[in-house]
Amino acid sequence: MGAAAQIKTLLREADLYQQQGLLNEAKERYKKATEILRKNAGITNSQELIKSIVKKVVVLNQEINKINEAATKPEVSDQKQDLIKNLFGGGKDEGDGQRALEGAIALAKFGQFERALAEFDRLLEDDGLRVAAAKNIVRCYIELSDLDKAVERFSAWVEDDAFKDIDLKKIRFFLENRLRKLGHDGVLPERTQVLEIEEIEVDDQAAGAGKAASEFVDEVEAESVDFESELELHEEEFLDINSVGIQLAPGNSKGQMFEFDVSFQTGNSINLIIPNTEKTLLKELKAGTKLQDMQFFSPIAILNGSGVVTSKTRIKSGPKEGDFSLDITILTT
Amino acid sequence: MATFNFKKREIECKIVYYGPGRCGKTTNLEHIFKTYKKQVSGEMVSIDTEGDRTLFFDFLPMGLGKIKGCDVKVQLYTVPGQVQYSSTRKLVLKEVDGVVFVADSLEVRREKNMLSLKDLHENLKSYGSSIFKIPLVMQYNKRDLEEEGIPLMPIAQMEHDLNRQLKAPSHAAAAISGMGVAKTVTDCLKLTLLHLQKELNWAK
Repeated sequence: MGAAAQIKTLLREADLYQQQGLLNEAKERYKKATEILRKNAGITNSQELIKSIVKKVVVLNQEINKINEAATKPEVSDQKQDLIKNLFGGGKDEGDGQRALEGAIALAKFGQFERALAEFDRLLEDDGLRVAAAKNIVRCYIELSDLDKAVERFSAWVEDDAFKDIDLKKIRFFLENRLRKLGHDGVLPERTQVLEIEEIEVDDQAAGAGKAASEFVDEVEAESVDFESELELHEEEFLDINSVGIQLAPGNSKGQMFEFDVSFQTGNSINLIIPNTEKTLLKELKAGTKLQDMQFFSPIAILNGSGVVTSKTRIKSGPKEGDFSLDITILTT
Repeated sequence: MATFNFKKREIECKIVYYGPGRCGKTTNLEHIFKTYKKQVSGEMVSIDTEGDRTLFFDFLPMGLGKIKGCDVKVQLYTVPGQVQYSSTRKLVLKEVDGVVFVADSLEVRREKNMLSLKDLHENLKSYGSSIFKIPLVMQYNKRDLEEEGIPLMPIAQMEHDLNRQLKAPSHAAAAISGMGVAKTVTDCLKLTLLHLQKELNWAK
């Protein structure tokens, strides 16, 4: 094929690729045609042709830039947001609250943060969904790279009576982990008011234990950091669990169900405090012990499942001194 | 995952059109929307950019009527093909029951086809599903461009590149004119409903 025919083919292909929206491919064809033109100066009107191609490439570049610079998840109309909620939110057989939560999560996943935040804010009124809504509010601000706002919202919840201490611990742990990952060195406030009341109500010895209690939280949290990457994957799939029932298969305690409150939870990892009086149970539980028969009590469901003990630590100071902190990873529900 | 309402004898399933950017996924849905008015049960919704590129997804609800005494409803979706919409693609693929992989026949898109198929494989795997097990139909689109003198890959080469292990049913197509669109969607629906019969026993 002669140079002129080659150029003709390349220009036709470039034009067609452009029509197909294959802009980079079109640009590549124009580039090749220009190279051939430059090598074959004898072709009639070669300079005019090069000028005309350069103009087309400029237009192509503008289009390519426009596409590359466009927001990947821009805000869409209310109608389309409703559709996203309906199609990607909760199932028909779920309760109104849970469906509303999943709808709001779907909006956040599709980058519709303004509306998602408004819906999560409404869900803060729901006792059973408050923690999940708060975590998602924090997550929205992190996605929006507004870490200060995330901290500001948490600070307001610390002062808000609607949040129980245990709820705040969960949210705090969730937020702290993310801030740490992002290199944010801001300090999250403690609920000091509650500690002051305790100091008034209890004697000096217990007042000192208040400080130790917060140290204990730090100690356990530090141990849990190892599971972060795994938790990232499954976090959204787990319900908030208030308490668990553990039934041991072997040994003296066979058939007996032990029930404990969950101190805090991140994704599929839960922490329990086992009193040192539960000697039989504590003897059976070691890091690596598989718990085949567990019950998980959440505000919206009771689930049967299994788990594995990932760590057992004796608490060395504070009001729970002598008791054991147990981390369990939920395997199935 | 499909939902089967035993009481109402109603099954609803989800089919996703997957493939590289600009391969013709939206054009497939547009043709179905225009041509099969009787079966289409709502508006086709597209969320696209100025440049006609699908941003989030296209959605087309269909009602196939009674099959084996059961009311069959289908939701057709497309994913955004561009590489930068990876997370959206994964979201749309969640709980999919059947997949149409639309491959671009243009020679210059060979690598993009293969990368997109790999992406599908990985996303299905992340949901605990498998490209080898899910009902899948391949469509080799834009065959009409051969007449324009544009280099296309021979079907045999596309089969070798994309389908030699999967051995999924495949169709040559030109979605812009509708050629091969109906065959593709029909095949995918048949495979999906047969697969769901094994799982949900809906046609009993």
